Amino acid sequence: MKKIKAEDVIVYIVLSILLIIVVFPLFYTVAASFKTNAELLANPGAILPKSLTMDNYITAWNDEDFNVPILLKNSIYYTAIITFAIVMKSAMCGYVFARAEFPGKKLIFAIFSSLLFIHLGTITVYPLFNILNIIRLNRSLWGLIVIKIFAISVVNIYLVKSFVSSLPTGLDEAAKIDGCNFIQTFFYIIAPLLKPVLATVGILAFKNSWNEYLMPTIFTLGNPSQRTLIAGVVALKSGGTAATSWNLMFAGSAIALVPVLVAYAFGNRLFISGLASGAVKE
Amino acid sequence: MKSVDKTAKGTAFTIRGKKYQKDTVFWSYIMISTELIGFLAFTLYPILWALRLSWFSYDGIPSNTRFVGWTNFINIFKNDIIYWRAVLTTFEFALVKIPMEIPFALFLAVILSKKMKGSGFYRTMFFMPNVVSVAIIGLIFSNMFSHMGVINRMLSDAHLIKENIGWFDHKWTSLFSLAITDTWHTFGINLLYFMSAISNIPEDIYESAKLDGAGRFSTFFKITLPCIAPVFQIIIMMSVIGTLNTSDIVLVMTNGAPGGQTYTMMPYMTSKFVPGFAETTANIGYGCSIAIVSALIMLAITLIYNKFSARLKNMY
Repeated sequence: MKKIKAEDVIVYIVLSILLIIVVFPLFYTVAASFKTNAELLANPGAILPKSLTMDNYITAWNDEDFNVPILLKNSIYYTAIITFAIVMKSAMCGYVFARAEFPGKKLIFAIFSSLLFIHLGTITVYPLFNILNIIRLNRSLWGLIVIKIFAISVVNIYLVKSFVSSLPTGLDEAAKIDGCNFIQTFFYIIAPLLKPVLATVGILAFKNSWNEYLMPTIFTLGNPSQRTLIAGVVALKSGGTAATSWNLMFAGSAIALVPVLVAYAFGNRLFISGLASGAVKE
Repeated sequence: MKSVDKTAKGTAFTIRGKKYQKDTVFWSYIMISTELIGFLAFTLYPILWALRLSWFSYDGIPSNTRFVGWTNFINIFKNDIIYWRAVLTTFEFALVKIPMEIPFALFLAVILSKKMKGSGFYRTMFFMPNVVSVAIIGLIFSNMFSHMGVINRMLSDAHLIKENIGWFDHKWTSLFSLAITDTWHTFGINLLYFMSAISNIPEDIYESAKLDGAGRFSTFFKITLPCIAPVFQIIIMMSVIGTLNTSDIVLVMTNGAPGGQTYTMMPYMTSKFVPGFAETTANIGYGCSIAIVSALIMLAITLIYNKFSARLKNMY
């Protein structure tokens, strides 16, 4: 038997305390979502519910204003479409910037990269509304989806580009000899090899669009039936009945946590490898 | 690419001595077309729009639009104390958060980088908060930090406080709770970065240091720290950029409480000029000039930091 050092014991104790701190808020949310509203109001400091109740979930599911099924549906198509678009676009963009030679390549890449450092913030929603007006989409969740489909995600382009660069160019040349042109080479040869990096891009895109708050909130103003789940849950806080809506907020939050935590449980390697290979936080 | 030369004539062209394949060029532009359109319509146009509007007084009603020249900018620098307070708050927030988060993440990374059982598990768990929505985190923590909330309860149960603290009643406690919350959310990323930097340090350096009788502290300061210095700079830069751009957590958790004192630049802009948060009569033209000044401040900080850290690098 190896001797257990006192130092190791201390390290594990420190790590375990930290672990509790990290998990606690999530645990607290779930626990609170099972409290009765009376208990949430009278005794908000308690960790565990006195008695478990599913009422909050039932109310949240059936509430007229805070209608979870509709919010969920909005969140699901919003996230699915954007994730799919980002995966496709970053695959193609990364391939083009890694392999192609075309006039303006360096300039375009430099401009895209510089976008990482230019933030005008939320004021730009006004010109975005203007553009949507021109294409007759107005201010709506679909309008935002269109904007997101056309958006440039520099970090993902970087990820795919460096992955493609690591593939041997012999692949492209062999494909060329077999009669593939530039885009055929992409679809038949390169794209299937991109699975690992695209899984990372996809899971990060899924997380980001599911979790988004500010833009979906602004684009669905006055249109509660278009809100995403996160936007809907947080909207309760600024609503008139905020003080008595904590039951809905906790139940809604707990529901909103599930997809990302499940994705993380199965795909934590993808999250971690994606970030370790140089992604930047949003 | 040299293989280009072999192809049939008529499929290639030359610009400034550089040879391009027609087919490749065509498909390249097609494949990045959404990005190009997106750049023109949803990135460049909004920037130009904001640059133009920053010279106007504009409240959303076209007929009320008035050219005012430099007036908006002059007003920012001469009269808008509240904006500069938000700028100052942004720096204060960074000064509370970054010195708390970075050493903490580095310390943990050093511990977890040792060959020990379960370090992968801890790393995975410590990163977990990062996958949760910032807005939801802000919501939950605003409940936890509330007057009767679970944090005050635990502190008073542990006899650390006599009365419940009004976390959002004072500027500094409010900023502090924001910083704690944001650190809880992001320290996992920096932990990952530090760990991958440390894992790139060759093992034999440590072994020879051990042979030379180096202690734990001198090993850390003389080997680990210099070896990860380049990554360290990037981590701090991203931390600074991230902190300056802090937005959702402030809007959801404190919404400026108390009295707008915890608004940093970005949430301040949102709360003053964006539909749903601001009053409908907001002067959007003025908002544009605020956005431009803020963007320039952040760009300047990034550039200064880069220059400064490049000099640090040369010293090594």
